[in-house]
Amino acid sequence: MSMVAPVRRPDLGPERHLVPVTPSTSIPGSISWLHGVRRTRARRRPKAFFALVTAVVMFCVMIAQMLLSVALESGAYEIAHLQSANKEASRSFQQMTQDIDRLSSPQHLALNAEALGMLSNNTPAYLRLSDGAILGAPSSGDGFTRLVGSDGGTLVPNSLLANVPLVTSASLTPTGDAASHAAPAVADPNGAPAGLAPAAPVALAHGLPGLATH
Amino acid sequence: MLIVVAFFAVVVVRLIDIQIVRAAEYDAASAGKMSLPATVFAPRGDITDANGIVLADAILKYDVTMSPRNAREFERGTGENMHKVSTEEAAMEIASITGQKPEDILGAISSSLTANPNADFAYVTRGVGVEQFRALNQLEIPWLYFEQIPSRAYPNGSVAGNLLGYVGSDGTALAGLELTQDSCLAGENGQETYERGADGVRIPGSTVTSVQAKQGSQLRLTIDSDLQWYAQQVLATQAQAQDARFGIAVVLEVKTGKLRAVADYPSVDPNNVDATPEQYRGSYAFAAPYEPGSTMKSLTAAMVVDTGMADHASRVEAPSLMEFANGARVKDSSDHDPNLTLQGVLVESSNVGMSLFGEGLSPDQRFSYMTKFGLGQPTAVGFLGESAGILYDPEQWDNQTYYNMFFGQGLAATAVQMAGAYQAIGNNGIRLPVRLVEECTSPDGAVTAPSLPESVRVVSASAAQEVTGMLEGVVTNGWLGPQLTIPGYRVAAKTGTAEMSAGDGTYSTSFIVSIAGLIPAEDPQYVVLVTLANPSSNSTAAVAPVIHDLMEQVVKQYRIQPSTSNSPYWPVTY
Repeated sequence: MSMVAPVRRPDLGPERHLVPVTPSTSIPGSISWLHGVRRTRARRRPKAFFALVTAVVMFCVMIAQMLLSVALESGAYEIAHLQSANKEASRSFQQMTQDIDRLSSPQHLALNAEALGMLSNNTPAYLRLSDGAILGAPSSGDGFTRLVGSDGGTLVPNSLLANVPLVTSASLTPTGDAASHAAPAVADPNGAPAGLAPAAPVALAHGLPGLATH
Repeated sequence: MLIVVAFFAVVVVRLIDIQIVRAAEYDAASAGKMSLPATVFAPRGDITDANGIVLADAILKYDVTMSPRNAREFERGTGENMHKVSTEEAAMEIASITGQKPEDILGAISSSLTANPNADFAYVTRGVGVEQFRALNQLEIPWLYFEQIPSRAYPNGSVAGNLLGYVGSDGTALAGLELTQDSCLAGENGQETYERGADGVRIPGSTVTSVQAKQGSQLRLTIDSDLQWYAQQVLATQAQAQDARFGIAVVLEVKTGKLRAVADYPSVDPNNVDATPEQYRGSYAFAAPYEPGSTMKSLTAAMVVDTGMADHASRVEAPSLMEFANGARVKDSSDHDPNLTLQGVLVESSNVGMSLFGEGLSPDQRFSYMTKFGLGQPTAVGFLGESAGILYDPEQWDNQTYYNMFFGQGLAATAVQMAGAYQAIGNNGIRLPVRLVEECTSPDGAVTAPSLPESVRVVSASAAQEVTGMLEGVVTNGWLGPQLTIPGYRVAAKTGTAEMSAGDGTYSTSFIVSIAGLIPAEDPQYVVLVTLANPSSNSTAAVAPVIHDLMEQVVKQYRIQPSTSNSPYWPVTY
C-alpha cells in the first residue's frame, strides 16, 4: 500500500479516494496535483517566513553598520577639527609665552625702569626692624646712578625686543580712553580710582591692606 | 553555454589574480597613496638659570616653501567674491608679510623653473614666526606650503649668550652649553603613520605610533641671570669707555664653587648670531688664557705662608730693580720704600719683593702648589673650547721664567681658573670644583647632577686666612683702595697688570689688567674677578669701577650683611 494514509476531506464529496502523488508524477490541472500543491504550500509557508525574517535582519544589520560607520566618520571630522584647534591654541600659547619671557628680560625691565625715572642705589644699607638700627653706610642721593644710560640699551642686546616700545612711549601712555578700556578695574582699597596715576600719596586710613585669614 | 562558462572562467581567473596573486602589490600602492608617516617633534629641553628663569626655550618656526610649477593665477574666495589673483599679486602679498622684496620671490620661481621645468619645491623664506605664519596661511595661496622647524628662542637675548651658545637653522646645537649638554637637552623625534581620506582627514583607528617621541630634559645652570645681566652691562659700559679689546667678569661662590655670573665682552646674542664677529661668539672667560700678572702674587704669598717661611709681618729689603744670581732681572712697576713687609709687598705689588720671598721655595714645591690651585688643567666645567692654560714643568723653566712666575708672567691661566684659585684662598684653603651646570631634570622627574672631581686641600686654613687678611690690607692701604671700598663692608682684593704677548715670543706694549676680589673679607662668600684687555688708560684703575659696582651688586643680590668689625691694620713698611 501507500506510505500516506488517504485523507478524507469533507468538501470533496463522499468516498473519494485520493491518490498519493509526488511532484514528479504530477499532472498539471488534475485535482490530485492541486492537493499535492496545497500540502507542500503549507510546508513552504514557514520557510518563506524565515527567509523573510533573515532578509529583514540582514537589512537591519547593514543599516546599523552604515549608521555606525557614519557616526565614526563624523567623529573623525570632529577629531580633525579639534586637532587643528589644538594646534592653533598651542601656537598662541607659544607666542604668548615668548612675549611674556622677553618682556621679563632684564634689559627690558631696566630700560623701562629708567624711562620711568628710577635709579639704582649703589650703596647697600640695611634697616634692622627689631631695633631700628641702620647697618651699613647709606647715602642720600650721590649713590644713585643710571644703570643703562641713554644709549646703554644696546650694550647687552636682545634682538627679540627690537620692536617693543618702552612703557613711556606715547602709544602706550594711558589716556582717559585707554584707562577705561583697561582690564578689570580692581578697586584700590585706598579708594583711589583704578587706572589713573595718583597725584599725591594717599593716606592709609586703616593700615596696610592685608589678607583675611582664619 | 560554453561561451558563458569561458567568460566566467576569465572573470574568475582575473579575480584570483587581483585579489590573491597581486594583492600585496596593490595594497602597498594604495597604502602609499593613503597613509603618511608623520614626524612627531619632541621639543628640546629648556635651559634655566639657578632660579628657574628660562634662558632658552624650544619653539616651532616655519619654513615657507612653494611649488614653482604650480605657481600660477588662482581664484580666491567663494561665490560672488571669487576673484583671480595673479602670481605677481600673490608675491607682493607674501613679501609684505615676510619683509622680502616681491622681485626676490618671483626670481626664485623663475630660476627654479629654468633649472627644472618640473620643479615642485623651492624655499620662499625660512624660520618665520607664528604671526607671520598665520598671516601667510590666511592668504590661502594654493602653491604655498609650510614646514615646521623646531627652533630655539632666547628670551633674555645676549644675557648669558656666551655660555648658552646657539643652534643652527635646523635646530641642531652649534656652540656653548647647547652643544656640550646636547645629550641632556635633545629630545627624540617620534614617528607615527596614519591613513587619510581624500580630503585629508585621518581615518579613525588607522593611527599607528611606530616610535614614541621623547621630550628633552631641562638643564638648570648655577648662573643667576639678573647678576649675569648686571655684570655684562657694567663690563660692557666700561670696556667701551676704555676702548678695550675684550673684557671678562666672573662671580664665583666661595662656599660651593658655583659660578654665579660669567660675563664676556663682546657677547653674542643667540637670537642674532650674525651680529657678532666669529671670534667673540664663545666665552673668553673659559677659552682665552692670559698671563695673570700680579694677581698671581696672592698665590705665591699663600705658598710662602703655608710652608711656614713667612707671615704678614716678615720683612724683606726690596729695591725697585734687582738682578738675581742666575742672571734674571726683575723690575717693579713703580718706585717704593724698599723696606717692605709681606703685607707691603702685596700693597706695593713689588715683583722684586715677591721674588725674594718666594726664592726659598723649591721648583717642585711651587709646581705642586700651582697645580693644586688649579693652574695648568681645565676646570671641572668642561666648557666648549675651554683652555687648560699654560704651565710648564720645572725642567722647562729658564732663568728669567723662574722668577717671572712669582709675579704671574711666564704662565697663562683663564679668568675662571684664577677665580677658582682665589676661591681656594677664600674657602680656608680648600679648592672646590668649579661648576656651571646645576642639574639636568628629565620630563619624568629624574634629576641628574654632573659628576665632579674631589675638592683639593691647597693650603692650610690659617695660611688662607692670613693671605685674605693681607689682601684686605691691599684695599685699605693701596692706591686703588678708595675706588674699591664699599662703605660698611670689608673687601679684599689684588690688582694685576700683565703685559700681553706680542705673539712672537716677546711682550707687546699692551696690557691685560685685572682685579680679583673677595667679599666680605672676614668670611669670604664670593670671588669677583674682572679683566680688561688693552684699556686706553693701561692701568688697573680702568677695572676698578667695574669690580666695585659688581661687588656692590653681589652684596645686594645675596643680602650679605654689612661687616661688624673693622679691618685690622698690618704694617706695610718697617
